[in-house]
Amino acid sequence: MRSALTLPALGSVRVTFSLWYVRLGDCIVAGDRIAEVLIPGATFDVHAPATGTLAEQLAFPNDSLTPGQVLGWIEEE
Amino acid sequence: MTESHPTTEPQRPSRALSAYLLGTLEFESLLAFQRRLVYDISGDRTTAALILCDHPAGISIGREGSRSHVRPSPEVLNARGWPVRWLSRGGGTMLHLPGQVACYPMFALDAHGLTPGAYMEQLQGVAVDLLREYGVTGEPDPERPGVRVNGRRVVHLGVAIRDNVSCFGLVVNADPDLELFRDVRCDGDTLPMTSLARESSHRVRVTGVRQRLLELIAERFGFDRTSVFHTHPGALHQRTRHAAAHRP
Repeated sequence: MRSALTLPALGSVRVTFSLWYVRLGDCIVAGDRIAEVLIPGATFDVHAPATGTLAEQLAFPNDSLTPGQVLGWIEEE
Repeated sequence: MTESHPTTEPQRPSRALSAYLLGTLEFESLLAFQRRLVYDISGDRTTAALILCDHPAGISIGREGSRSHVRPSPEVLNARGWPVRWLSRGGGTMLHLPGQVACYPMFALDAHGLTPGAYMEQLQGVAVDLLREYGVTGEPDPERPGVRVNGRRVVHLGVAIRDNVSCFGLVVNADPDLELFRDVRCDGDTLPMTSLARESSHRVRVTGVRQRLLELIAERFGFDRTSVFHTHPGALHQRTRHAAAHRP
């Protein structure tokens, strides 16, 4: 089963993707910080919603993002 | 015997703030202490902490900064003893100097009902309020958060939010040596930073700015109680430079 990694509402009009902390295929545990996004003046860590492996990355550095956008998929254990 | 009457107003949980007024603090000590406080607060989200200090001269560069904002060559920086640190925080390049007030709030944003964007607005609001108390009108910059006076930046903002707990924060130029800002384009601005002492007709003392900043933050974020500390656990284990052993 796949679980979507979505961007929460951050209360900012401008959100850009900053970096991935994990690579494709890496094992992750629910709650791990796996990506960083940037609003003007602040970084925000996105946490894994499920335990498994990172199956797909859909966002890349400097991409503009919107709330609810899927950043990647986690293949659950 | 008194009779208790139920109140109709909703009861807001009481909030306490631990404020650390630490004077001059090495950047490495700040990072270690801040990391520990963020860890503690992410485990007990009813707690909050604030570090107020200044740093020895040095440069920090956040995610929105660039090495091109620092004019001196690595050799010159080395000769001056200005380390350059790349930090995983928002905001751009900042020159840290004595005479500034660095303010690092560590708040669980969910406990305060704040989104990261709203938190940044509140923090800028604190900076504008502070300037107003010194008779200075600050203009917040929503694109590159910070506050300007007459077009020149006086407050720098750079924040990181980890596990929904804020860290890093803002730096207020109370009364630093402004000449040195010609060498560093803070937050990418072409004009060098200014200071509260330069812009205000009031007397500006770093300790006064620090105290007022603490009060404004406690008020704006709704803390009922503030406990003030003048030391932190890590400071006890710092090696003292003046006490190095002599070789026989």
